[in-house]
Amino acid sequence: MEALQKLGRMPTGLAVPAFAILLVIFGIPIVQLFLISVNAPSFSVVNYRAFFEQGATVFVLFQTIEMSVVATVVCLIIGYPTAYLIVAAPKSVRTTLIVLVFIPWLTSGLVRTYAWTVILGDHGLINNLLLHLRLISDPLPLLYNRLAVYIGMVHITLPIMILPLVSVMQGIDKSLMAAARSMGARPSAAFWRVFFPLSLPGVRSGTLLVFVVCLGFYITPQALGGLRDAMLSNFIAAQLASSLSLAPIAAAAFILLAIAVVMLSIFGLDVSGTPHETAQPLRKSSPYRLRALGRLLQYLYEIGIRYRANRWTVHLYQPIGNSGRSKIVGAVFVLLVMVYLLFPGLVVVIMSFSAGPFLEFPPSGLSLQWYRSFFGDPSWTLAFWDSLQIAVTVAVLSTVAGTLAAFGLSRTYPRLRVFLMMVILTPITLPAIVVAVAAYLGLINLGLIGTKAGIVLAHTILAIAYVVVIVAATLANFDRRLEQAAKSMRAGPVRTLVRVTLPLIRPGIIGGAVFAFIASFDEVVVTSLVSGFSIRTLPLKMLENINQQLDPTIAAVGSLLTLLPVLWLIALYLTWWRSKLKLQGASANQIA
Amino acid sequence: MNQSMNRRRFMQAASSVMTVGALSSGATQVSAASSGELRLNMSAGNFGEAVMSAFVKPFEAETGIKVTPVYQDLRVAQVALMVKTNSVTIDAILINQPNALSLAANSYVEKIDYSIHKQQELDGIVEYCKHPFGFGSQIYSMNIVYNTNKFPANKPRPTTWAEFWDVDKFPGTRALPSGQFGFPAPWEEALLADGVVKDALYTNDIDRVFASLDKIKPHVRKWWTSGAENLQILRDEVADIALSYDGRALALIDQGAPIEISRNQAKLMWDYWIVPKGAPNAQNAQKFIELVGRADRQAAFAQLFALSPSNRRAYELMPEKVTRKLATYLDYVASSYPVNGEWYAQTGSDGLSNSQRLIQRWNGWIVR
Repeated sequence: MEALQKLGRMPTGLAVPAFAILLVIFGIPIVQLFLISVNAPSFSVVNYRAFFEQGATVFVLFQTIEMSVVATVVCLIIGYPTAYLIVAAPKSVRTTLIVLVFIPWLTSGLVRTYAWTVILGDHGLINNLLLHLRLISDPLPLLYNRLAVYIGMVHITLPIMILPLVSVMQGIDKSLMAAARSMGARPSAAFWRVFFPLSLPGVRSGTLLVFVVCLGFYITPQALGGLRDAMLSNFIAAQLASSLSLAPIAAAAFILLAIAVVMLSIFGLDVSGTPHETAQPLRKSSPYRLRALGRLLQYLYEIGIRYRANRWTVHLYQPIGNSGRSKIVGAVFVLLVMVYLLFPGLVVVIMSFSAGPFLEFPPSGLSLQWYRSFFGDPSWTLAFWDSLQIAVTVAVLSTVAGTLAAFGLSRTYPRLRVFLMMVILTPITLPAIVVAVAAYLGLINLGLIGTKAGIVLAHTILAIAYVVVIVAATLANFDRRLEQAAKSMRAGPVRTLVRVTLPLIRPGIIGGAVFAFIASFDEVVVTSLVSGFSIRTLPLKMLENINQQLDPTIAAVGSLLTLLPVLWLIALYLTWWRSKLKLQGASANQIA
Repeated sequence: MNQSMNRRRFMQAASSVMTVGALSSGATQVSAASSGELRLNMSAGNFGEAVMSAFVKPFEAETGIKVTPVYQDLRVAQVALMVKTNSVTIDAILINQPNALSLAANSYVEKIDYSIHKQQELDGIVEYCKHPFGFGSQIYSMNIVYNTNKFPANKPRPTTWAEFWDVDKFPGTRALPSGQFGFPAPWEEALLADGVVKDALYTNDIDRVFASLDKIKPHVRKWWTSGAENLQILRDEVADIALSYDGRALALIDQGAPIEISRNQAKLMWDYWIVPKGAPNAQNAQKFIELVGRADRQAAFAQLFALSPSNRRAYELMPEKVTRKLATYLDYVASSYPVNGEWYAQTGSDGLSNSQRLIQRWNGWIVR
């Protein structure tokens, strides 16, 4: 108890568990890798010079940054309105939409990338449809170019953008908007001056995550792109497949990391800063805007209560653009985004019923043989259970450690916070294969190669990054005075945490946990190394299949994984419906 | 206390990683050595299943050794990392030629123990598959594969690399393997298309390779990067003519796909079974390698999966309809050539292997 109180008084100490895991599994070996990259103990920059002397590598480095920036911007442009509309929707619709956004993530990235070749291919769905309608006479080159790469990249990263936005937007007090509009602010003004600044932490953390994830992309540009559309990770993977030496790979990775650090410090890494302190460097006019908001609120209080009540009955808690037309536009937009997110998954589901021996669309015949092949083969079902166990453990471990760390970071000096945040983000910024080598070295030191505990720890260093960024974004809008109020009423730090703070940042914590779960459940590169060839997780099994066989079992697995959240949704609705019935029954009884 | 622990661990790991071949360092030995076990790394799918029933099951029955297959694509740096950190968990690995040879050159692999092979079987094995540090049990090839709807039997069909390059006489989209990994790659084919004879392919004329590739570049729809992508490109008819593995094309032909293989100017390739240094069950791995060299086992394999036996005597044990599908069928031998893995692994004065030199060139070429 005393220890807990001590921790409560020393907020930065909360970050210790997360950083301890990071240091042992990743931090020490990454220093080793750095020493390798400078050819210690003789120390030379020959690997770095070799990197810059090759024009192609530098070109691809810039291309990697360019592609990541474009994909991130597109994600933001699509993701922000989507998140906004999701939050504005009634609760039941909102839950469904959030689940739908996540369904694509449960189908392995490899399978989804393959689905895009089916959709965009020269004899793919779109071209066949257009040819059939005689709108074109020759197939359009939709695949094997930069556009296809962007389509695939945004498809994979859009959920990473939407989730932090939703968890931040859910925490925004909507009466502020209502207040602004009741003062006569037009919907657009209320949005830009009140809602948007408050949602900035979500924008910042979503952008950050998407950008660093994009930097490490490898399979998507290779499968969907043309010859020129290579990214740095493609070069690194080729190096790994042809060279015995880790030094050039390590050098390339540290150059990428350095670029990421520079870009992110320009962008602003301070996810958990309050909007007030972080909005300033971004937009000079924001102090004015905030002052305007203050005046607006002040004015609000001066208005007669009766008048205010009248206005509020009309406007309170209503989204902007309440008119019928903008509602339709919003619904159509969300529908299009959902089609984009879910259509490749649908293609996968259809292919899973194929009677042929390979993945194909449309299937040459229908059968359940690939489901039988999944359930009949213990190596598949075992892999599924192993993956599930590992992912749940990772989710619990990283959510606890990550949430504590986010707390600690949000209460420390901004400079230190930015530095520590970059440290936390390093595992997802570096190309996965480099993280894999580092984790391998870290786990060898602990004797944990080839154990589930080892895989859990290796996944946790990745998952913590997601949790910290998302929870920190939610904390940015958290009003610390609520905690002070609780404490002034003699609530201890633990009680304050459990009764006040945790309930308020719950959306962020749940979002972080979901991310952590999926980050582990879908992870393949790091696992392939640290599993020591003794544990086969589901993604490893799927990778092995897609590399060699390309049979529809992987589509069946993808479909089953998609089915799980859908079943969960149905169960959720059933319980809502039943409790509603019960309530109605109870009230009916009372009346009788 | 904690700090000194970390420092010690760090020193331990650093020394084991940086000192090449420092097998005596104090790093953790991951899996316990035992006499009754063997862990094999190979590809999965139908290939892996064929290995299991033609080689592994008889091996287990004969020796009583329990075999654990590890289906995973292993990168060469990964093998080196395992050996360097003394954490080898695999006893035998099937790996492509240049990678096997460069591992051998850096003494990361054990010598193959040919003393336990029967002389009669060894005599049947083609010379290039009996390397001191690696043993090839199956041979496959890379060939011209064309779509029979686009090139029907009553019209001329592209059967040489010069014709593959001739887009005026044989119009249509092309597919070639990407050169990003250095091997396998379309280097030999580019030279053959440019008129180089097959005995003079490995002469370091990298400029000529890329000059030839320049000519075909605009006509290539996709540069494929894996066997699965190779198959997908043929099946989805992405290309009318492709450079393809024979096995992938045969799998589709068996499904009734409208494609045919031209065996002319085929590049013969084989992977080596290697035993990494420090493998916990190296003895068992050697015994297994002896078994995969036997003619009867290789014949059983070829009937399950259409890869050529390296043991010529296996041909006597198979029906004609099976052998006709194989890359080293006697009628095809004269028109094909074996790939020269030694050349790929050869290291120049700058420390770069020919493989790496080609990769660097390729990287510059694709962004041009």
